[in-house]
Amino acid sequence: MDIMQKLTILADSAKYDAACTSSGVTRGGPPGGKGMGSAVPDGICHSFSADGRCITLLKVLMSNACAYDCKYCVNRSSNDVPRATFTPDELAELTIQFYRRNYIEGLFLSSGVVRNPDYTSEQMIRVLALLRYEHHFWGYIHAKVIPGTASGLVRRLGQLADRISVNVELPSEASLSTLAPQKKRKAIFTPMAEIKQGIAVSQTDIVRYKHAENFAPGGQATQMIIGATPESDYNILRLASGLYTKYDLRRVFYSAYIPTVTDTMLPAVDTKPPLLREHRLYQADWLMRQYQFDAEEILSEAQPNFNPYLDPKCNWAVNNLHFFPVDVNTASFQALLRVPGIGPKSAKAIVIARRHSHIGMSQLKRIGVVLKRAKYFILTDDLPCGIRLNKQTMAKALIDPGSFSLGVEQLSLFDRPELKFLTDTKAPAIQEVREEAATCLASKL
Amino acid sequence: MPGFKIVTNPADLVYLYDGSLAGFFCCVHRSFYERELPIDILPEAADQPSIYPRAYISTDQAKAEAVRASIVKNLSDRVIELTEHVFLCHHPHKEQKLLRFLIFAFGIGPKAAYMLGEDAVADVLEMEKHLLGEVHLLRGFIRFADYGEMLGGVITPKNFVLPLLAAHFANRFPNENFMIYDKTHKAVLAFQGGKLEITMVEEVEFSQPSEDELRFQSMWKNFYKTIGIEERVNPRCRMGHMPKRYWQNMTEMREYL
Ligand code: SF4
Repeated sequence: MDIMQKLTILADSAKYDAACTSSGVTRGGPPGGKGMGSAVPDGICHSFSADGRCITLLKVLMSNACAYDCKYCVNRSSNDVPRATFTPDELAELTIQFYRRNYIEGLFLSSGVVRNPDYTSEQMIRVLALLRYEHHFWGYIHAKVIPGTASGLVRRLGQLADRISVNVELPSEASLSTLAPQKKRKAIFTPMAEIKQGIAVSQTDIVRYKHAENFAPGGQATQMIIGATPESDYNILRLASGLYTKYDLRRVFYSAYIPTVTDTMLPAVDTKPPLLREHRLYQADWLMRQYQFDAEEILSEAQPNFNPYLDPKCNWAVNNLHFFPVDVNTASFQALLRVPGIGPKSAKAIVIARRHSHIGMSQLKRIGVVLKRAKYFILTDDLPCGIRLNKQTMAKALIDPGSFSLGVEQLSLFDRPELKFLTDTKAPAIQEVREEAATCLASKL
Repeated sequence: MPGFKIVTNPADLVYLYDGSLAGFFCCVHRSFYERELPIDILPEAADQPSIYPRAYISTDQAKAEAVRASIVKNLSDRVIELTEHVFLCHHPHKEQKLLRFLIFAFGIGPKAAYMLGEDAVADVLEMEKHLLGEVHLLRGFIRFADYGEMLGGVITPKNFVLPLLAAHFANRFPNENFMIYDKTHKAVLAFQGGKLEITMVEEVEFSQPSEDELRFQSMWKNFYKTIGIEERVNPRCRMGHMPKRYWQNMTEMREYL
């Protein structure tokens, strides 16, 4: 099989993996003067695919000839699909040639289980070692650790890659044992703990010795599939929050389940992927990482699922009106961050700008605050008692336009009685849905 | 520490200069010295007939140095950086906006560059943001082809980004020779034998790509097509991240234009 065919098969099998970032590492150039490669802290997107996702790494599987039979996966052993496997040389060469042409920031390498986890990991390590030591390649490498890999091999991967991740795959142990019976909980969390340990040691060593061993400087990540199993958004968010604290993860990625195989235990093949839900999870995740929100502030037992019309931050604001208004000239950075329409960047800018002059609406606009939303929650010099408009107008301003750009059909996935009207065959036009959502929200304000 | 207030009176006058940064500093010198705020400042080459009288400001290195030194002394290195950045922008009135910013900054002192709520400051920061945004995108969107003796790529940016792209690619590919042709500004960034150079050119002709080169291009195009998930297709989102004007120079995008 020629390398073009292999690339097609192995990119196709890797495309459902959500994680494609090249961030978290700074490397000015190849150490030692030979070869090529650098890394910038924010990462670089080299293209955007038809689905609007950033392409930064050559994302492929080493092999899709998988011995496991995870029910949700195209590559499961019982599925009839073409199989291919890269040789380490082929893949290293392809990475270098793509990199020289500035197509990519580096390699994202994952794999189906060939024979067993250790054998697979050895193959992956060969690719990484070829890249680092033969080609002197110092671009970004993200490697997946196959659950159950021996700890010596996990170490080796960590030494060669910039980021490594073990996928938790599904948001609960029960789901894991029904849908991926060969992947045991322990096989996932043991390497995760080892990676955490490796990173921690390398960081203290870097403080102590100049030539400390590098270990996944871009940190550890994981990914889970959303919508294949019955967990609530609250369950998922709590799991993510626990992973962040327990394993010091840099990122948790959420991947809307796209049915590719028929199975009685899975959603029907014509089910639309829950994109809005995935979007809300990323928003909530962002609030936890960048805005100092707790999972418990975002969702609760009583409200276990996201509001389809409001982003999680707006949702928190309308449920905590007593917190507002916030005075932009005196409030703390943390309090500013709670205002819908003010993000970390604009909150920082406000804190800098107000040292030098008092802040009014026009300055806020200049700074990049989304006044359309923020104005209901703040006090400024020229707006000393906050804006009091009618609730319908306010509700309209707060509704997340993203809810509608992802398509009304997405909302039906929430499958809650109050949203049933959306799934009617005579579904009202988006404009009407919007009005109705606004009225519904206004009544709560 | 407050600076010195510069009082300028609006003058019905357009400054013309040679288009260099030193030349612009001389315009600043003249404006401060004569206490006049010109209607516009234009590179000679961009001059168009109009009813306003012209004043040609000739470039004098000593004067330019004096202005630069005064900015460093009374303001900050950040203001120099900001000025250099804005000077690379394509905005037709960038010189005028920069002058207004400098007048404001000298009146306030070093903290001026952080007064984000002020129009004079916000205008130049906005331009800088646009420039740096384009630089960031192009670090990813430039496509090289292997022409044997060197890698070559073409860009058509709005701003003059080559000086800000140079270090990134030189660090990344210290052992390659490469060139980036900026078609908009008719300039070439060349990196050869470890040396960087930017030169103005009329036209650059690339030779025919080799078989091998075409093979990698088609593998890349194929990868691009494969990696998109059909069930999630979202052209608006893609366009938002990767505006169409970049597509013409991107191997995998050209066919979608
Ligand atoms: S291990 Fe499971 S999820 Fe991974 S490729 Fe094999 S079948 Fe798919």
